[in-house]
Amino acid sequence: MNASTPTTGTLRASGLVRRFGTKTALAGVDLEAGPGGVIGLLGPNGSGKSTLLRILYGLVRPDAGSVELDGAPLEGDGLAIRQRASYAPGEIALYGELTGEKHLAFLLRGRGREALEKANSTARELGLPLERRVRGYSHGMKRQLLLSAALAPSVRVRILDEPSEGLDPAKRGEVLALLEREKAAGTTILLSSHHLGEIDRICDRLVFLHQGKKLADETRERVLERARRLVRVSFDAAPEERVLAGLPGVARLRLEGARAAIELESDDPREFLAALASERRLSAPRAIEYGALSLPDLLRELYGVEAL
Amino acid sequence: MRSELRAKLWMGLAYFVVLEALLVAAMLYWPQFAKNLEHLKSLIPLDVLRDMADKIEESGASAYVHAQHFFKGCNALGGLVAVIFAMNAVAGEAQRGTLEIWLARPLSRRRLLLERWCAGAFWICVPVLVSTATVPWLGSLVDETFDLPLLLLCAVHQCLFLLAIYSITFLASAASSNPLAIGFTMLLGAIGELSLYMIERLTHWSAFRFADVGLYQQIYDGGSLPWRITLSLAAVSVVCVLAALRVFARRTP
Repeated sequence: MNASTPTTGTLRASGLVRRFGTKTALAGVDLEAGPGGVIGLLGPNGSGKSTLLRILYGLVRPDAGSVELDGAPLEGDGLAIRQRASYAPGEIALYGELTGEKHLAFLLRGRGREALEKANSTARELGLPLERRVRGYSHGMKRQLLLSAALAPSVRVRILDEPSEGLDPAKRGEVLALLEREKAAGTTILLSSHHLGEIDRICDRLVFLHQGKKLADETRERVLERARRLVRVSFDAAPEERVLAGLPGVARLRLEGARAAIELESDDPREFLAALASERRLSAPRAIEYGALSLPDLLRELYGVEAL
Repeated sequence: MRSELRAKLWMGLAYFVVLEALLVAAMLYWPQFAKNLEHLKSLIPLDVLRDMADKIEESGASAYVHAQHFFKGCNALGGLVAVIFAMNAVAGEAQRGTLEIWLARPLSRRRLLLERWCAGAFWICVPVLVSTATVPWLGSLVDETFDLPLLLLCAVHQCLFLLAIYSITFLASAASSNPLAIGFTMLLGAIGELSLYMIERLTHWSAFRFADVGLYQQIYDGGSLPWRITLSLAAVSVVCVLAALRVFARRTP
């Protein structure tokens, strides 16, 4: 990489399309990231998270669309992007015959001695037995080895596919502390995760993917605010959508049989609840849930996405 | 490149040791073979093999070395090693799931693939060249003399023949995720080619005609490579490597 190239860690992707045979993994995804900040990619299995991360790292060619990292476009075999970013794959497959130390050297070939020393130090910090062959490592240890390598290079963008998958809570905490350190240093981090605690703790922005499409791209604060404004009401029979939507303070409504998910315009539900109680065209609600929902609940209610 | 060479070190050394052991055994057996050649010829069932024995009778120890070392040892063992190295080159990575971490480093795919091809090519060719270089010394043990430069010329041609097999398999590996299927296909192909070679009327259709005793004797006696064949073998390798680079550049991990 040219030393004079400005490295702010700004990633821009637009119109990304990728098909595998007849299956469309990504159907026109746009994404902007950085400089700095942690973006969490969320979505159910098969939603296109890993494909998107692989394209952003230059490992997979998109069928359409473009990617640019600090002005370097994704072209050819994606070398310009890989030189400016680091990556931890989601699927764990390592060379079992290599020791942890040799494996780090393999993973960091082309990154310089400094990166290797940093990776060794991170791996030791995480308690990995680097002198042992990797075939004797547990799933979690392999994950940590990959992460140690991904956090070592001196780059401004790190792309991490499920970085804490398979880790016990204590190790997950250590890994999150490492990511927080990176975040504080101004590195742009894109990560996919199924772990809500992780997302809640470190992500500034959340991108929801479903069936290869971007459903939403919002800051963490905005998502939490929406969670606070969500009211779930269950009736004995399906209510009239028109009547429910006409109640004061209703911003958005999703009706599923006798259950309604209502996003209010403000944090204060009192006016809405009073109107709900007095509306004679609606049967009396059987249950009302209000307050901060869990992220899976929020995804289900706002976007109809069933699971992470 | 060094790590690629190291990864194939033990197999390359084992290949050399077995090749050399076969050569030593063959050379030490030469006096007895020469004495009993007439009798042995009467036992040979196939015309193609009888022709080979005739060439040995006519040209002596040099043709015997071509038959034992190049045609038998290098073609069989070298061909096997070439297929094993190449079938695992990319397809092996894909099968064990390590293709992604191999490609995820900040190195160009062209470089990764060429390094791998070169490391395999090195370990295919060096044992052939080094073992061939020991022939004059082994010959002196049985009172035979050999011309080393001419033998090395034969070895160069042998290397190009093996590299063609290696490169064809390498191309298949760059496109596939199933190394065993590649290996079995190449094995069946080799058996088919050898079967063709053994049938006198069809022998000219076999690829083994490009690396048989007659051709090596021609190189040894004439002092030059059969350029049309040698360049064709080199061209096969070049075309296959270029095609592999093209396929590999688009490959999804």
